[in-house]
Amino acid sequence: MALPPIQITMEEITDPEETARFQVRWAQAERNSAWLEAHASDMYRNHRGKFIVVAGEELFIGDTAEEVLAQARAAHPEDHSSLIRYIYPKRMIRIYAHQREMEIM
Amino acid sequence: MRINGKWKLCEDGVIRPVISGELLSGEGFWEAVEFLLDTGADRTVFSAAMLAKLGLSMLEPEEDISGLGGVTGSVQIETQLNLPREDRRPVIFTSRFTAVTDPGALDLCVLGRDILDLFAVIIDRPGNIVCLLSQKHRYAISQEQ
Repeated sequence: MALPPIQITMEEITDPEETARFQVRWAQAERNSAWLEAHASDMYRNHRGKFIVVAGEELFIGDTAEEVLAQARAAHPEDHSSLIRYIYPKRMIRIYAHQREMEIM
Repeated sequence: MRINGKWKLCEDGVIRPVISGELLSGEGFWEAVEFLLDTGADRTVFSAAMLAKLGLSMLEPEEDISGLGGVTGSVQIETQLNLPREDRRPVIFTSRFTAVTDPGALDLCVLGRDILDLFAVIIDRPGNIVCLLSQKHRYAISQEQ
C-alpha cells in the first residue's frame, strides 16, 4: 500500500546576498558542531537525561528544552546556529524512528 | 547537485551518517539542525527538542509515527529546510514536516525518504562518504580487475 502523498518543493538559491548571509551562519554552525563532536564523550558521561545546547561554542544544560534554549539565547542572542540535543539516560542501540528499551547488555 | 554529509561521532560514542542543515523558525530565523540519514524512515521527523527550538504553530498530524517502541505522539509543522550544496549555496525544501512531542522518542532529527527519495543516497562507511546526489551528479560502481 502506498503512503499518503506528501508535497515537497525544492528550490536552489542563486541570490548572492542570500548565499552570503547563509555562509556566515554556516561557519558558526560548523564551529558549534565541531565543538559538540570534540566534547561528545563528555556529554554522554556527564549529562544523561538532560537537554544540552551548544551556542557560541559554549555548553548550556537544562532539564527541559525551553530552559536550556532560554539560557543559550540569553548568552548568545545572535547565534541561531546553535545545536540542541537530548542526551538519552541510557545507552541504547538505535534502529530508526523512536526506540526505547534496546539496552546494550 | 551534491549535498555532503559526514560520519559524525555522536554523544554515545557511536559514529553515524549525519547531514547538517537549517530549519526556518516561527520568528523567521534559520536555525541549525543535524539530521541522521535514515533510509528506513518513511518520513523526515524532527526531535521534540528541535520542535521547541523552532517555535512554530503545531498542526494536527495526518499520519501516526511508529517505530520499534510503538506509536508515539507527533505533530506537524509547515516550514522550510535548507540542505546546502557542496558549493555552500542553499537548497530549500518546503513541506509539512512531522515532529515528535516526546523528548525520549528521538535525540537526533531524522532525514527520511520523503527527502531522500529525491536523491541518490551514498552512505559509505569504508569510503568515509555521506552525500546526496541529483541532477548532473551521478555515481558509478566499478570492480577492479
